[in-house]
Amino acid sequence: MAIVYDDDGLPTGRKVEGGNVKVLIIDDSQFIIKHLSQIFMSRDFEIIGTADNGKTGVELFKELHDKTDIVTLDITMPEMDGLEALKLIKTIDHNVAVIMVTAIGTAEAVKEAIKLGAKGYIVKPLDREKVIERIGQILK
Amino acid sequence: MRIEYINPFVEASFDILNEILQTNVKRGQLYLKKLGESMKGVAVVVGVIGNLKGRIVFDLSEETAMKIASKLNGEKFETFDEMARSTISEIANMITGRSVTKLEKDKLNFSFTPPTLITGENLNIYEYAGMEALIIPIDTGIGIIEINIAFKE
Repeated sequence: MAIVYDDDGLPTGRKVEGGNVKVLIIDDSQFIIKHLSQIFMSRDFEIIGTADNGKTGVELFKELHDKTDIVTLDITMPEMDGLEALKLIKTIDHNVAVIMVTAIGTAEAVKEAIKLGAKGYIVKPLDREKVIERIGQILK
Repeated sequence: MRIEYINPFVEASFDILNEILQTNVKRGQLYLKKLGESMKGVAVVVGVIGNLKGRIVFDLSEETAMKIASKLNGEKFETFDEMARSTISEIANMITGRSVTKLEKDKLNFSFTPPTLITGENLNIYEYAGMEALIIPIDTGIGIIEINIAFKE
């Protein structure tokens, strides 16, 4: 998936081939879901679903994987953690771009996620400008 | 408790609260908590397991919790509802996460449990024998958060 970047080099939520980039957010924090959604929507990304644990997130991805371009995945979650969910998501669709969302920038879990096929990670707290810049780097 | 394990929490608490609240956040003097001293009404508990064992409790009043949640969400909360609770738990998560990044330099092998939020009047906390709790008071400018740490190696 190639996305359109604006004149400042920042990512928009539009695909080069047309249409909006569709995002699925999996996070056990309502606060993070709300703020991440606002950041994505401010750049025209479309939120197609949210889930508050890995298990329901994977089930939702099974239903929506044909439409999903990006999955954001929290690492520490109840029911099923982000690493386990990542493995299953990659089994369903190896090409989907998975971005980990974590409070820890250098932990083993982040390195493991990259090994498992995550495209990159965003470190909390979610500062709008930094998150947009980071998404742009990850999707390039 | 070794001070080198405490400092990353002091720094992370101060840095995260400053970044997200952008209020005049100030650190108070660290002190040892007396046994069974009552807490403020909202407590977020994070367990520590591994080479370092213990727990961290973020202790604040419901009034402070609501003010912080209102500021971070850009809306006034009338009740301490799910979004307000999620906001406060997430702050605890961000502080512990940032502390890990700082503590990893010491090659300590440990991890945190997800935060558990407890509310109620007259909450008390008791350590088991041999454990003492150190308090880091933080004045956020819109209320006090006490970060109550008890570790042992």
